[in-house]
Amino acid sequence: MAETVRLKRTAAPAPLVSPVTMLRVAIILGVLASWELMSRSGWLYRDVVPSWIAIGKALADLLSSAEYYFHLSVTAGEIGAALAIGGTAGMVVGITLGANRFMSKAFESYLYYLGPTPKIIFFPIMIMWFGVGPGSKIALGTLSCFFPVALSAAAGMRQIDKVLIKVGKSFRANTWQTVWKIYLPAMRHPIINGVRLGLGVALIGTLLAETKLSNKGIGFLIIQAYSVFDMPRMYAMLIVLFVLAIGANAVVGRLGGLHTIRR
Amino acid sequence: MSARPARRTTPGDFIPPALGLATVVFAFVAMEVLIQTNVITRFIVPPPSEIIGSFGRVIVEEHIFSRFVLTLGECLTAGVMITVFGVAGGVALHRYKLLQEAVETWVAAMAAAPVVLAYPLFMVIFGRSAWTIIMIGFVAALPPVILKTLEGLSGTRKVLVNVGKSFNLTASQQFWKIMFPAALPTMFVGVRLGLIFALINIVGVEFLINYGGLGQLINDLAERYDLPGTYAAICFVILVSVVFFMTLEKAERWLRPFD
Amino acid sequence: MSLPPVSANDILMADDVVVRFETAEGPITAVDHVSFSVRQGEFMSVIGPSGCGKSSLFNVIGGLLTNHQGTVKVAGELINGPHKSIGMVFQEESTFPWRTVVDNVAFPLELIGMPKAKRIERARTFIKMVGLDGFENRYPGELSGGMRQRVSLARTLASEPKILLMDEPFAALDEQTRLLLGDKVLQIQQQLQQTTLLITHNITEAVQMSDRILVMTYRPGQVKRIVEIDLPRPRTSEIVGSAAFGRYVAEIWSDLREEASRGMKDEEEHALHEGASS
Repeated sequence: MAETVRLKRTAAPAPLVSPVTMLRVAIILGVLASWELMSRSGWLYRDVVPSWIAIGKALADLLSSAEYYFHLSVTAGEIGAALAIGGTAGMVVGITLGANRFMSKAFESYLYYLGPTPKIIFFPIMIMWFGVGPGSKIALGTLSCFFPVALSAAAGMRQIDKVLIKVGKSFRANTWQTVWKIYLPAMRHPIINGVRLGLGVALIGTLLAETKLSNKGIGFLIIQAYSVFDMPRMYAMLIVLFVLAIGANAVVGRLGGLHTIRR
Repeated sequence: MSARPARRTTPGDFIPPALGLATVVFAFVAMEVLIQTNVITRFIVPPPSEIIGSFGRVIVEEHIFSRFVLTLGECLTAGVMITVFGVAGGVALHRYKLLQEAVETWVAAMAAAPVVLAYPLFMVIFGRSAWTIIMIGFVAALPPVILKTLEGLSGTRKVLVNVGKSFNLTASQQFWKIMFPAALPTMFVGVRLGLIFALINIVGVEFLINYGGLGQLINDLAERYDLPGTYAAICFVILVSVVFFMTLEKAERWLRPFD
Repeated sequence: MSLPPVSANDILMADDVVVRFETAEGPITAVDHVSFSVRQGEFMSVIGPSGCGKSSLFNVIGGLLTNHQGTVKVAGELINGPHKSIGMVFQEESTFPWRTVVDNVAFPLELIGMPKAKRIERARTFIKMVGLDGFENRYPGELSGGMRQRVSLARTLASEPKILLMDEPFAALDEQTRLLLGDKVLQIQQQLQQTTLLITHNITEAVQMSDRILVMTYRPGQVKRIVEIDLPRPRTSEIVGSAAFGRYVAEIWSDLREEASRGMKDEEEHALHEGASS
């Protein structure tokens, strides 16, 4: 009896839209609706919660202004430079520390405990050393991303399968070949993660520095919007910034993911 | 192969850290010499001796202790908030699987989002006050607590759950007597991570909005062009944060001796 | 122990090798005055119980361990670092997970600067030799353990060493896979007339593959006996189970058994003292 029942039952048709998606849409719509309500009610001070229409308009204005892209390129350039300098320095230091137990025991704990401190507090020193232009922003970004990259690289070196190093030695690979053909590929996951983290903190460091003292860049624009109380514009800029930041993080993460398929 | 005996610490074990310390001391001395001989101008970097000398002045005149208490207070407030809301959030996500599936990746994305960049927005809402600082700390530090709580609850070993079932525990008993205690270690990790995020953001925002405790001190001294004072204050903040992190690590290790 | 009479076609000569280590409990002698030679084209196994120093010997001959007394020469040249005439196959998984099979095998050729087209072609030859043709563009992660060891073998063979030095390469594989892979190795060795030195603890494997077997004592490792294996060639795993095979295995086991028991007793005493002192 039960047998026939089981044979007769076919799989229930898969719902067109999964419950998860429906819930997500519901949450998003709920947030948008309550936001709009708050905005219209006038319950909060003036423009603190502008209507979505205002934000949308500001967003459109922003994305179609050449000025915005200029500032965006300034910030992007600063972050890029910071990542290039800090990232490279971090890799070199990290690989050196990871390769050598003695050096690691001597110096790595400094990196470990200095790493989580808020680097923005160094900004006054950076200004003194590098002036008020992009130099001090790049310097702060470099300082920010050096630590996570170095620590990731050092940890990455230590997790390399020892036998792979022996293989290189048995084939008499020279130092350059060993680093490029064995160490770096073997560390690709920790490196990608370190770069992802480094990008995140370089972004924060550079932008915060721009908000503090600058006349160019996205950070400057945000503070400018704040000082004239142009809230829709500030929201628009923050939205774009967060989308870019989360997007960049996801892209770098995906790059690391592509490699995992090959594992 | 034969069992390896536990490695006893030998005198040789102290050489690397000693070398590290020696390098730092050497760097200080070198800086002192270079600055005193004007190879590096003292208007950009004051000599280390002056910096150390201003420590005393900064501590007394700038009310370091009350500032420290203020920053600590902000951290603790944020800490309590993230613990309450973070654990509650993690429990809710664990309990309502649909919610978890919908929202978990968003929370993870929030963990990576540079919340502190929105500080001007927080200033508009909360004014240039301690609440801006606390709220930024709260928002930035909340995701790791939620995620780790969720991880701890989801990771309860199946066998422990089965033990509970074999004793016919109610859902509520099951949760409070088995899952929650089992998840506590991971939850502590989450709170620790959250506290670290909170401190970083709090000190940073104090500096940026020039309000509050230690972060604001640095900003103040920099704006007054008190170079040795600025350097001293930065050193002090670094010291505080290092001690904070070490304390958190020790606390966590003490709470999880069996791991 | 002095070197046995040298014949004209001895390609590897180990002369009075001593390896000592400092451990927490004091110095131990892993290899104690070991001398032997390997003839060109022969398959020799070194067998011994755990703790007989055979891994140390492997590292000395491979040039990865230079802190030793005595000398090892290959074709008359002294070994004091990894030598181009010696190819090593390790016991652990050693394929590069981020390279395809063909890129793994071409690795030694890449290091010496061989142009890409030529080294790919050369690598394919060896991939075919180990029976993995068709898998050139796969990643090691997609292969089984036995297949990965074959890739490691092909990689070492691609460097065309005078002497193939292997350290228990099949230890992690199950018995049946091991026997069949042993066949493959024998086939290759016979085809290339490759001089091979195999370190193993597996008696069946040693007798199946070898022309001569060097039996080592337990620590301090010395040469206990060298056994000539007079089984006909070409050989396959079918030989396992023949009467002659059984006799050789029995002979070697009786040598080894004594050493292995000594080893076990030593470990038990060691563990006992550890418990007492900690």
